[in-house]
Amino acid sequence: MRLRANITPWLFLFPALFIYLAVIVFPSLYSLFLSFFDWNGVSADRKFVGLQNYINLITQDSVFQTALKNNLIWLAGNMTIMIGLGLVFALILNRQLKGRVFFRSVFYYPYVLSGIVVAIVWSWMYHPSKGFVTFFLEKIGLEEWAAPWLSDPKTALYAIFIAAVWQGAGLPMVLFLAGLQTIPRDPYEAAIIDGANPFQTFRYITLPLLRDTFVIVFATTMVGAMKVYDIIYGMTAGGPANSTQVLSSWMYYQTFKYNYIGIGSAISWYLIFICMVVIVPYVIFISRRSYP
Amino acid sequence: MEASLKRKVSNGLLYLILIVLAVFFILPIVFVAFTALKSNADLNAHSFHSFPRELMWGNFADAWERIKKYMGNSLLISVVKVPLGILVNALAAFALTRLRFKWSTGMFVFILIGMMVPMQATLVPLNMMLNAVGLNNTYPGIMFIYLGFGIPFGILVLRGFMLAIPRELDEAAVIDGCGELGKFFRIIVPIAMPAIATLFILDFLATWNEFLLAQIFITKESMQPVTAGLLTFQGQHSTDYTLLNAGVLLSIIPVMFVYVFFQKYLISGMVGAVKG
Repeated sequence: MRLRANITPWLFLFPALFIYLAVIVFPSLYSLFLSFFDWNGVSADRKFVGLQNYINLITQDSVFQTALKNNLIWLAGNMTIMIGLGLVFALILNRQLKGRVFFRSVFYYPYVLSGIVVAIVWSWMYHPSKGFVTFFLEKIGLEEWAAPWLSDPKTALYAIFIAAVWQGAGLPMVLFLAGLQTIPRDPYEAAIIDGANPFQTFRYITLPLLRDTFVIVFATTMVGAMKVYDIIYGMTAGGPANSTQVLSSWMYYQTFKYNYIGIGSAISWYLIFICMVVIVPYVIFISRRSYP
Repeated sequence: MEASLKRKVSNGLLYLILIVLAVFFILPIVFVAFTALKSNADLNAHSFHSFPRELMWGNFADAWERIKKYMGNSLLISVVKVPLGILVNALAAFALTRLRFKWSTGMFVFILIGMMVPMQATLVPLNMMLNAVGLNNTYPGIMFIYLGFGIPFGILVLRGFMLAIPRELDEAAVIDGCGELGKFFRIIVPIAMPAIATLFILDFLATWNEFLLAQIFITKESMQPVTAGLLTFQGQHSTDYTLLNAGVLLSIIPVMFVYVFFQKYLISGMVGAVKG
């Protein structure tokens, strides 16, 4: 009797667990193993170097330092602007406005596009002479601002970020809309009777009740920001002069263009490590709460 | 009187903001459409956002000729992988929420951590693994990998939703004499449909739009999905931009279709994930 009760869960879990172990767990652990070596992926010559790859990246690789900085900038931007915009959209569209389904679709549809499509579309917009951005700036009298945004190392990352916000704000919006829908009307009605203004209702009713939603939004946004790849690769391929490299793209270069397998693996493990340090405590805390 | 005027003004203001933002969101695609409908001469002579001098609908036919095989590949991959993934994830989520199991939380956290693993970290070992079993450059090979990367999020969404399903329904099934599998297929799955529909959309989109793995693991050009295929429109010496933009528009039709069709489930399904 006890034996049967113990095996069933594992049977249900088996397909997912097997695939998960084979595709994610073992390869990433093997990648960790590879990060301690100096290897080009094909030759039999594989030299053990211990932590040297990790040390070199942090102390000597200026592109790695740029990539790390870019990821942190990207993270900060995502957490504030993208989530903030998504929240604002959700709050506005949660009311009984006419045409809210239309607006919801308009703000969400870019998320449906692939990073490559977004990159192609926005590269057009940023074209120095013929793109719409230049045209628009001229029209509103700001033509000094018109520049080859994507070709200037100082502005390229931010230009891509705008495109990323265009693509990505719809996801937090949809998650917040879902969360807002679970909030009953009673607290609001009581607050109005008590004479609370909109800011107070937002701060003392809406925000606390959205806490679970914030968890998911934060977690997915943080992870996404650390892993960002498609849109950057599509718009600048990490250039100009490696100014828009992020950890994922620099890892791609090291592994597949330069064949420095050990270094590429080390970069990806830096990425995993940063994600874990930030997210794992957060998730454990939350999942412990939902279990009675 | 004053309160309702205040409300009208604030509503009006909101609409203004919404419309301005909506324009910002729609413009880029409109320009893609303009470019797709132009002839190359028109494109070179005028700015990118001008309305076409002449509507070249033929561009779509030409782009279709080049892109249809990639679209077919993407369709095949997505239509097989997505339902399979949902089944695998639903079974696992069921085990984590419904079956008495000491390690539920731990297992869930273990799987969730996988979301942090960037695909790049696994590429070299995966490449070696696929080569070893002879599945490199095959659809089963890449579908296996896609399934793997879809597991953390899929289980997150489905588990969240299943946690919210009241246990009384399970107990009714037990009285009727269903086994666990019966409970799964006849009670939990039908109730979890909103979450399943949500996952269907999101997973279909993610699979259709996937670029990195497709770029690395499918090197045979005739087998490539549409994301990698679009890049072939950008030639080594010159790119036919009108054709590229027409191709882009064609490539997003299926995802738009799936989105529009399943849209109403999206929010309600998210509710489940959010509450979990």
